[in-house]
Amino acid sequence: MSQLVPVIVLSIFVVIFGIIIELVALLCSTAGKKSATKLESYECGLPSDTSGTTRIPIKFYLTAILFILFDIEIIFMYPWALTYGDFISSGLGLYILGSMGFFLLVFIFGLFWEVKSKALEWE
Amino acid sequence: MLMEAIGFYAMAMFLVFFAFKTISDPNPIHCALYLSLTMIGLAGVFYQLDAQFIAGVQMIVYAGAVMVLFVMVLMLFDLKTELRAFSRGLLSGFLKIFSAAILAGFALGAATNSIGIVDEQPPKVMSANITRDLSILLYTKYLYAFEALGILLLVVAVGAVAVSRIKGGSHARD
Amino acid sequence: MGSDVFEITVNFVKMVAIFLMMVQLVPLLVWVERRGSAYIQNRFGPNRVGPLGLTQLLADAVKFITKEEFSPAAGHWFLFYAAPVIALIPATLAFGAIPLSAPINVGSFEMLGHTWGPYIFKFQSFDMGSIGIVFVLAVSSLAAYSLLLAGYGSANKYALYGALRASAQTISYELAMGLSLVGILLLFNTFSFSEIVAVQNGPLSFYFFGQVVTFSGIPNWGIFYQPLGALILMAAMFAETNRLPFDLPEAEGELVAGYHTEYGGIKMNMFYIGEYGHMLVASGLMVTFFFGGYTLYPLLTPDTVAAWFAKLGGTEASILTALVLHVVFLAKVLFFLWLFIWVRWTLPRFRYDQLMDLGWKTMLPWALGNTIITALVIFVMRTKW
Repeated sequence: MSQLVPVIVLSIFVVIFGIIIELVALLCSTAGKKSATKLESYECGLPSDTSGTTRIPIKFYLTAILFILFDIEIIFMYPWALTYGDFISSGLGLYILGSMGFFLLVFIFGLFWEVKSKALEWE
Repeated sequence: MLMEAIGFYAMAMFLVFFAFKTISDPNPIHCALYLSLTMIGLAGVFYQLDAQFIAGVQMIVYAGAVMVLFVMVLMLFDLKTELRAFSRGLLSGFLKIFSAAILAGFALGAATNSIGIVDEQPPKVMSANITRDLSILLYTKYLYAFEALGILLLVVAVGAVAVSRIKGGSHARD
Repeated sequence: MGSDVFEITVNFVKMVAIFLMMVQLVPLLVWVERRGSAYIQNRFGPNRVGPLGLTQLLADAVKFITKEEFSPAAGHWFLFYAAPVIALIPATLAFGAIPLSAPINVGSFEMLGHTWGPYIFKFQSFDMGSIGIVFVLAVSSLAAYSLLLAGYGSANKYALYGALRASAQTISYELAMGLSLVGILLLFNTFSFSEIVAVQNGPLSFYFFGQVVTFSGIPNWGIFYQPLGALILMAAMFAETNRLPFDLPEAEGELVAGYHTEYGGIKMNMFYIGEYGHMLVASGLMVTFFFGGYTLYPLLTPDTVAAWFAKLGGTEASILTALVLHVVFLAKVLFFLWLFIWVRWTLPRFRYDQLMDLGWKTMLPWALGNTIITALVIFVMRTKW
């Protein structure tokens, strides 16, 4: 807890700093004329043609899901890296190598399958 | 001691407030963002319970990966804001009262069981580096769970790609 | 944050000072970038405003503050205004956890009638003791939110797609970033930054088939053990910070400045503060993990520098030691920042599908291979046969 207080204080300070800067900009800004064109979204100067629904590329969803899975697998490698030296020096080196080796085999197979099945092709 | 109590209650109120905002806001993207803040609050609670590695992992995986997925997908769908946050009707009203009663029961049980939890206790003998102990336990006592998790993640990967290629969908393979 | 008023005040001022150091580095870096890129491209950079064009950035800041404030009518104003502020948070928190120099030991002293006891002030905003690197990864993964919120709050189709592509790029390279550090963690066996710097503060010594071999002239830096890991970390951090050659989200021709199309004035500048802040964090991580942090083993370590100031004794010696070692740290970090700028103005930009292929099909397998080979080599070398 004692180490969390500086983190919280610093985040609150950064947020207040950002808000103050934006307020200063709001106060110092030179006001132009409000016109409908200025408030529209920018699309290279052409009038916007926002039709209803556009096709949603599913690649974003697949990228994010695969990212979650591989992130979890990488998270499991962190405690392994932390205690690798301890395991080796107490004679269990082959055991820890084997157990993580099996996990890595599954990971590599997953990555290999995902690349081979062209799940993440970006045009 | 007082600092611990204040810190815990502040974090708990932060967490409960944003969890409540998650379910009571009609705009879906707001809900997802409040859920991210709830996850960050949960990481703070884990930290206070001396599970620092779990707090970090919670932020990396939940707040940094899962919630980013939610927000990304919600932004892709141009969902209209709901007119009302809560539904109406007889069955829905009954379910609301039922779940509120169950929640009250849980809260009462938790409160009764934790009388005296913030009193002075003999300091627990905690090892110097709890992350190291966690890692050693993970690879010795819970090895089966660890390996099973690897295979489970593989199943999820295959399943996600397979679902995206359902026949009749936009990415169907012919 | 401290046990009495003096310690709390000093720690708070220290936190604010480190944050402001990060913010103040942005004008300096932009000046270096504009002059440096001009030098690379054989032209003059800004050289009219002030000596050597140094106050050009001050003039730019005044210009940005006085620009007109507006937000798109159909947009979501709270998220639109909140996104630049959120962009500052991950870089600040991550930079706060990296040790910038040796801790300062302040002895007891008298002031205002009290005796203020001996303190130890660490030269970093906060010391996340046993989870240093996990904390930095955790807050870096929050960087995707500011991109998404900026794109969404702009109510602009192209900004939204730009934001989605930028966040997809960011999360893809977070994998390679996290994995490239596993190799160095296998060697040093600790998450804490202070311990990693302390381990590199000695002669190069490693196990060789069970025996410990030591070379006394060379420091024990991580770069000698993990050159590939360092390279992958550097490349992944380029993509995380949206710097060229990975800056398609900001490319002019494709998406008209991507997720910050609708931003003007100081709000856009805050995105740049975040980007340069991430560059600073990346350089800090590279220096701490692979180049010895704030020490330089045979010549400038906390012990040898303290010996220079031994005559002064006590608090002053400690402060001067920390300052000298901080200069060492800054020199290394400035080298890496210059490397960021140099690479930006040398390489052409990647296409988006090349970029994603690079992240998933090249960097991730290489980082995995690095980890596996490191684990095997350590196992073979450390087991007593």
